[in-house]
Amino acid sequence: MKLLIVEDEKALSDNIRAYLSRGDMVCEAAFNFEEAQDKLLSFDYDIVLLDIMLPDGNGLNLLRLLKRLQPETGVLIISAKNALDDKVMGLELGADDYLTKPFHLPELNARLNAIFRRRKFQGHKILEFQEIKVNTDTHDVLVHDTALVLTVKEYELLLFFIANKNRVLTKQAIAEHLWGDNVDLLDSFDFVYQHIKNLRKKISAEGGADYIKTIYGLGYKFSAD
Amino acid sequence: MNLITKTTLFYLLVAMLVFGLGGVLTFYLVQKEVQRETDFALRDHLIEITEEVEEGVPLSFLKRGKVDITDLGTAPRDTFYSLSDTLAPHPYLEGQLEPYRKITAVQEVNGRYYRVSITDVFIETDDIYDVVVDIMLRLFIILCVAMLIFSFLITGWLFRPFQKTLDRIRSFNLKDQQVLELPQTSTKEFRQLNAFVAQMAYKARRDYLAVKEFSENASHEIQTPLAIARGKLELLLETPGLTDEQLDLVQAAQQNINKLSKLGNALLLLTRIENKEFAPNQEPVNFSRITQHCLENFSELAGLKGLALSSHIEPDVKLIVDPTLADILVANLVKNAIRHNIPKGWVEVKLDQQKLLVRNTGNAPRVSSEQLFERFQKSNQSNGSLGLGLAIVKKITEANSFQVAHRYADGVHEVAITF
Repeated sequence: MKLLIVEDEKALSDNIRAYLSRGDMVCEAAFNFEEAQDKLLSFDYDIVLLDIMLPDGNGLNLLRLLKRLQPETGVLIISAKNALDDKVMGLELGADDYLTKPFHLPELNARLNAIFRRRKFQGHKILEFQEIKVNTDTHDVLVHDTALVLTVKEYELLLFFIANKNRVLTKQAIAEHLWGDNVDLLDSFDFVYQHIKNLRKKISAEGGADYIKTIYGLGYKFSAD
Repeated sequence: MNLITKTTLFYLLVAMLVFGLGGVLTFYLVQKEVQRETDFALRDHLIEITEEVEEGVPLSFLKRGKVDITDLGTAPRDTFYSLSDTLAPHPYLEGQLEPYRKITAVQEVNGRYYRVSITDVFIETDDIYDVVVDIMLRLFIILCVAMLIFSFLITGWLFRPFQKTLDRIRSFNLKDQQVLELPQTSTKEFRQLNAFVAQMAYKARRDYLAVKEFSENASHEIQTPLAIARGKLELLLETPGLTDEQLDLVQAAQQNINKLSKLGNALLLLTRIENKEFAPNQEPVNFSRITQHCLENFSELAGLKGLALSSHIEPDVKLIVDPTLADILVANLVKNAIRHNIPKGWVEVKLDQQKLLVRNTGNAPRVSSEQLFERFQKSNQSNGSLGLGLAIVKKITEANSFQVAHRYADGVHEVAITF
C-alpha cells in the first residue's frame, strides 16, 4: 500500500511513517502544500493522509486537486480542528474518513486499512490471518471454515486486531476504538477484557489458536508468534 | 422620552416662566401707559374747556356729564391742576362704583377764576389684567402647538442620521466580514459619535479576530505536540524488552496526554460558544431524534456500568438550535448522569415540548447547585472527568436562551433544561 503523508509537523509525520512502515505500507512524506502538490502531480498513491491546516495553504484545496487528478485515491483527513463543518466539508469533497488529533497510531492504521479495503476491493476482501477468515463485506468470520457468531463489538475488535497484527495495543486504544471518545466513562478497562475473553472463547471453541497475547498491565498483541 | 421631547418640554418650561414675567411686565407697562394717556386726554379736555370758556360759551352749557365747572369770581387765586383717582357710580349699573381718573384745576380766564373738574373712565386694573393674561395664554398655546409640531418634524429629519447609526450598530455582528458603514451627516455631534462607533467596531473586530485566531491556533498547536508525544509513546511501546514498570509509566503518560487533549478541545468549545460561532439555522432541529440517537450511543456504556437507562421521549420536539450544540448538550448531560452515579443506579431521560429532564441516582454533591455549573467544579476529584461538562451545558443553554436548573433530593440528581 502506497501512502502519502501530508503533514507539516515533521515529528508527527515521522511518527506515522515509523509506525506504518513496520507494516506493509510504503510511506512518503510531504511537509507543505507545494511539496504535496508536486508529489500528487507526479505519482500515484493508494491513500493520502491529509492535514487540513498547512502553513502555505488549505488542505481542502489539496483534496479538491487530488479528486480531480486521481479520483480513485483514498483520503484520510487528520486535523486538530474538531469542528463539524470541517469534517462535513472534507467528507463532502470526497474524503473517505476523518481523524481528529491526537489519535492512536493503531487507530490510524485500522482506518487506513479500512479505506484501502473499500477502495481496492470495493469491500469484497477476505482478510486472512492464519486459520481466521473475515469477509468485510458480509461481516462473516470463519475459523477453520466454520462460521463464528460474533457481536458487533467482538467483530470490530477482531478486525482491529488483524489490522494491527504484531503490534502492541493498549487497552485505552482498544476502548477508544470500540466506544469512541466517551470511553472515559468506563472507570476501568474491565469491559475490554470481557470482550477479549469472549472473543478468545469463541475462536478457540472452533479450534482456533489463541493469538491474543496479554501484555501485563498494558494491553494486548495479536500475533502468530 | 426622547431627546427632542425633553428639550421641547424644557423650552416650554422656560417659555412659561418668560410668559409669566412678561405678563407682569406687560401689565404694569400697559397700566402706566393707560394712565398717562388718560391724563393726557384729561389735560387736553381741560384746555378745550378753558378755551371754550374764553370764547364765551355759557358755563351751564359746558357743565354736563363728566365736567363740573364753577365760577370762583375775580378774587385772585392760585391756578393749578391736579390728577387723582376717584370712585364714581357706574353710569349703567345701579349702585356700583367704578374707578375714575379725575383732574381738578383752578384756571384763570379773562380775569375770572374757575374751578374745573373732569372725570374720565379709567380702564380698570383687572380689565388690563384679564386682557394681558388672555393674550399671554393664547400666545403660549400657539407656542406650545408650534413647538410640538416642530419637534415632531425635526425628530424625523434631524435625528435620521442618528437612527441610522443606531440601526447599523444593532445589526452589527463581529463575525461579519463587512465593515460597519455609518451614514454621512453634517451634524458635528453625530459625526463624532459615528467616528467613535466606527473606531470601536474596528477595535472590537480586531480583538475578536485576534482572540479567535489565538484560541484556534492554540488548540491546533497544542494538539499537534500532543499527537506527536502520543505517537512517540506508542512507538516506545513497540520496543521489545520493556519491563512492566516501564510499561506502566508509558501508559500513565499516555492517559494524561489524552486528558490534556480533551481539556484543550473542551476549552476551545467553550470559547467558540462564547464567540457565538454556532449560529442556529432558522429551520428547527428535531431534538427528539438527537436525544434518541444520543441515548442509543450511551446505552451500551450505561449497561457496562450496570446502570438502568430509561427514557420517555416525546416525538417531534423541534427547537431552533445548532445541531452540533444540541448533540453536545444532551451528550454531556447523559454522560454526567452516567459518570456521577452509584452501583446499580439508574438514569432517566424525559423530553417533552417544554423541557428536557435528566434524572439519576448519585451521591450528594459537595458544592451548591449553582457552583456545579462553574468550570472545574468537581465533586469528585479522582474520576476521569474534566470538570467542564456542566459548564459547557450552561454555556449552550445561555447561548440559546434556555433555562437550566439542578436539584438534588433523596439521592436523586435532577437537571432540567427548560426551552
